[in-house]
Amino acid sequence: MTPIQITIEDVSGAPAGKVVKLVHIAGQLDESNVDEQAKTIYQLIEANPAGLSIIFDVMGLEYMNSKSIGYLTDWYSKISGNGGKVVLASPRENILDILQVVGLTQLVNAYPSLDEAKAAVLS
Amino acid sequence: MDPTPNQLEQTPEQAQAELSPVPANLIPLDERPTEITITIPTQAYFMSGIRDFVVNLTKNLTGFSSQWAFRFQAVVDELCNNAIEHGSAAGERITVTLISTKGKSLEVWVSDTGTGKEKMNASQLTALFQERRQVMTAQYLGFRGRGLPKIIGEWTDEIVFEDVPTGGLKVKVKKYLRKEEDTVLSTAQKDPTHIVLK
Repeated sequence: MTPIQITIEDVSGAPAGKVVKLVHIAGQLDESNVDEQAKTIYQLIEANPAGLSIIFDVMGLEYMNSKSIGYLTDWYSKISGNGGKVVLASPRENILDILQVVGLTQLVNAYPSLDEAKAAVLS
Repeated sequence: MDPTPNQLEQTPEQAQAELSPVPANLIPLDERPTEITITIPTQAYFMSGIRDFVVNLTKNLTGFSSQWAFRFQAVVDELCNNAIEHGSAAGERITVTLISTKGKSLEVWVSDTGTGKEKMNASQLTALFQERRQVMTAQYLGFRGRGLPKIIGEWTDEIVFEDVPTGGLKVKVKKYLRKEEDTVLSTAQKDPTHIVLK
């Protein structure tokens, strides 16, 4: 299995009734690991059925395939459907490039820094 | 009447020279295509190494930019994942061939053995490719189906689906190097207000 590390932390300063999580992803998301890793995010969504927003810190993400883009799209649909936000922080050029070619950057905003991503979600 | 230049008679040797491609051994060594073929088991585990190899080869041997190296990485990964998922059964193999003509083009061929449970033939996959390109819009929210029409379709210039006589499918994609486009894309990527319209 290709190495990948996902860690989750709380983001303080969320408005009442809202929950903001910061998900750090480092490594490569590919066919060998994405199904297993996606469970972590689905568990997070199920544990916070309303008011959840997620900031994906992808500074350490080196590669993502089309299936992982499919998962990101599904998480976006579920979270935005419940009034939350999904944003990306610090994507590498190749990650932004692949998200642009599939059109996902029109749905999920990407910010060059974590601070900007936090500001966008907490505003 | 004297012949015009276009009507000059050719010697048999001249005629033959026009019809035949230049023999490979007469092409200067540094202009000959570099062809590399790798066979791997039908396991996604091996794709990480293939992706690294594609990035390094593209950066060092083809003349394409770093941006295109990462794009080819994704193209090859998607082609191979399709072959592993659909074309070759577990315990079988897939074959990846990279053909670089430095400064001109990069080709990728991916073959499966046609033993997969969800195998398709060339005409079926051609139809699927065209259908997905029609339905795939920017607001597409489906879970699967982006690899072939978007990543492979948008980042290559030619795609050919071929049935392999011994069974299986071969998908061949080719991207031509356009120096000017490559330079513009690389520059534009560093400037958020510079939008490239293709």
